[in-house]
Order: sequence, then C-alpha cells, then structure tokens
Amino acid sequence: MNLPVQHLSDEAVAAFADGALGNGARARAARHVADCPECAHAVAVQREAVWALRAAPAPTLPGGLLERLRAVPTTTPLSGRPIAVDDDGAAVFPAFGTAAFVEPVAPPVVPPAAPPVVPPAPAERRSRPYGLLTAAAAVVALGAVGGTVASTSSAGPSTPAPNGPVRMQPAGGSTVELFVAPTAGTAAVFARTGR
Amino acid sequence: MTDAAVWVPPTWDEVVREHADRVYRLAYRLSGNRADAEDLTQETFVRVFKSLAEYTPGTFEGWLHRITTNLFLDMVRRRQRIRFDALPDDAGDRLASNSAGPEQAYAELHLDPEVQQALDELPADFRAAVVLCDLEGLSYEEIAATLGIKVGTVRSRIHRGRVLLREALAHRAPGVRPAEPGIEVQA
Repeated sequence: MNLPVQHLSDEAVAAFADGALGNGARARAARHVADCPECAHAVAVQREAVWALRAAPAPTLPGGLLERLRAVPTTTPLSGRPIAVDDDGAAVFPAFGTAAFVEPVAPPVVPPAAPPVVPPAPAERRSRPYGLLTAAAAVVALGAVGGTVASTSSAGPSTPAPNGPVRMQPAGGSTVELFVAPTAGTAAVFARTGR
Repeated sequence: MTDAAVWVPPTWDEVVREHADRVYRLAYRLSGNRADAEDLTQETFVRVFKSLAEYTPGTFEGWLHRITTNLFLDMVRRRQRIRFDALPDDAGDRLASNSAGPEQAYAELHLDPEVQQALDELPADFRAAVVLCDLEGLSYEEIAATLGIKVGTVRSRIHRGRVLLREALAHRAPGVRPAEPGIEVQA
C-alpha cells in the first residue's frame, strides 16, 4: 500500500537544519531527507541563509557611544533606587536581588547631623529612607571594600559628594540624598532622588 | 556556592566594557541602521542601570538580549502606529519591515549591505527570531523566553525568516554560498 509522502513540517525543517531535533525525530528526519529532494532542498535553504548571515561582518561600536554608555550613571535621572558611584563617577552595583532593599530597618532614622540643604517633603522622607542604609551596609558586606557608613549627607542637585566628584543630574526640581561610605581610596555613594 | 559568597558586583564601567559590543551588534542587526542601533543601545543600558536592583547574577546576557529586542520591537510597533495613522490602508503590508530610511546610506559602513538589506526586509518578528538564533546563537528555548512566544512559533518564524532571507539574497547576491554536495544532513 502506498502511503502519501509525509514531508517535514516547516518547524522540523528548521530544527533539523539546526541539529535541534531529539534523537528519534532527527533519525526519522534524516531518513526522509535522504530520499526526498524537496525536503533536502528546504534544509539546504535554511543552512544557506545561516551561512550568509554569519559571513557578514559584525558591526563595530561607533566612536563616542562607549563614552555615552559609561556616562549613563551621570546622565540618567535616578528612579528612587539606591545606586553607588565611585570616585570616577562609575556606578558600583549596590546589590543584586532585592533582598538587600526590602529588609525593614526600624525605627525610621533621619540622620540629625546632616540637615538637608533642600528639606524633602515630610511624607517622602518617611516613605523610603531605610533601604538606603541597608543597601549601603549590604555593599560593604558584599566586600566591595571594608569600612562602614561613617557619614551621611544631603546635597542639592549640583552639589558634589564630599568624598568624590560624583556628578548626579537628578530630574528637575527633585532632591538628591547621598549616603557616603568612605573606603580605602574611594567612596561608595548611595543616592536617591526625591519626587 | 562559595563563589556566590565571594562574588563582587562589577562596576558600571566593567558592565559597559563587557557588554557594549554585544548589545550594539544585536541592536544594529535588528534595526539595520546606526542611528537606531545607537539609540537602542543607549536605552538598553539606561534600562539596565535603572533596574540593577532587580538583577540576579547569571542572567546578564539573557537580560540584555531581552531588553534590547523588546525595545526594538516596541520601536517598530510605535512607528507602525504612526504610519498607519498617516498613510492610506494599502500601505500596511510593507510597514512591518521597518525599512531604515535615510540612515541606510551610511549603514553599509558596518555590515554587508546585501545581508543587512535582506534582514531589514523581514517582518520585525521574524527578523528578531532569526537574528537571535543565527547571529547571537541563542537556543530556541532562549528565544522563546526572550520574545515571550512558544518554541513552535520560534521554529516557524526562523524557518520562514530564513526562506525569505535566502530568496532575497538569491535575487541580489548570486554569490551566496551554494549548497555543498557534502552537506551533512544526518545527525
């Protein structure tokens, strides 16, 4: 009895060309392709397209873009999440995962030694000040460098951090709070913008 | 395990140096022109910077692929909407291809113009699947996760995209490497 020819599906053609079929399916496809010019052609077309793509030279990074990317921490308005910036203005990852930020620290600590230049709205002050110190501690614990959070200060948008040329450009009208953790030769700075 | 304990977060500078080339390359191959590729790359790193707190180690490349590709697809959809608003209804068919416009003139500085043009003519969804598979080397499963579609859909988009690509290149570039007699079809 003559069975109708069962050609490979499009999906199988692609997967076979890529060597992505499972063992059983791959063996069946290979047997079929060996006897079926139509499917063999379809597989060849897939591979030729891949060759053509891979033969094309990769685009290279345009001059200037790398510098703009490096400057992202200084040109991106802060969204309220803590970040760290080192002496060169390069950001240091504050922490990975959210655990470092959600751990509550009670009671609310508003450092009395450092009155803000621009007093933040009381509600905002109350709402999110704690994760920063926790995050600062987290980074120190992560071993970025030793040291503790020794000072806390607040600054207006254009005021540099005490320990380094940190160049923050917060969204217009907002305040920036910088939490500085002095370390050996550098300073981890945690900043956030008020809304 | 101990590695995780002593893992030190990279600086922003390290992140940029390590990943900028890859992100730009993907952005360029998706968008087909330098201006869009630069914008997409910049926006990808801005998103990364803003979302550092959500990042978990070990998925950085996948994360970057996802952000870049989705920014690209958003850009294409946004432009489609704008053009649909501005153009008569018969203009729709060509819009998905996101032809690059005036920037195309200097795009050729960076990528084989025939190949890039063939890529540019693919519908954006097909292009994304083909680029991620054939140029970025992602598995079908990784592409499915990146694009938020099923693996079967990934396969069919890749298949169709390559067929279209091969046709475009056969027409424009007869020199495309032909099927070799010894091409391995088995295993």
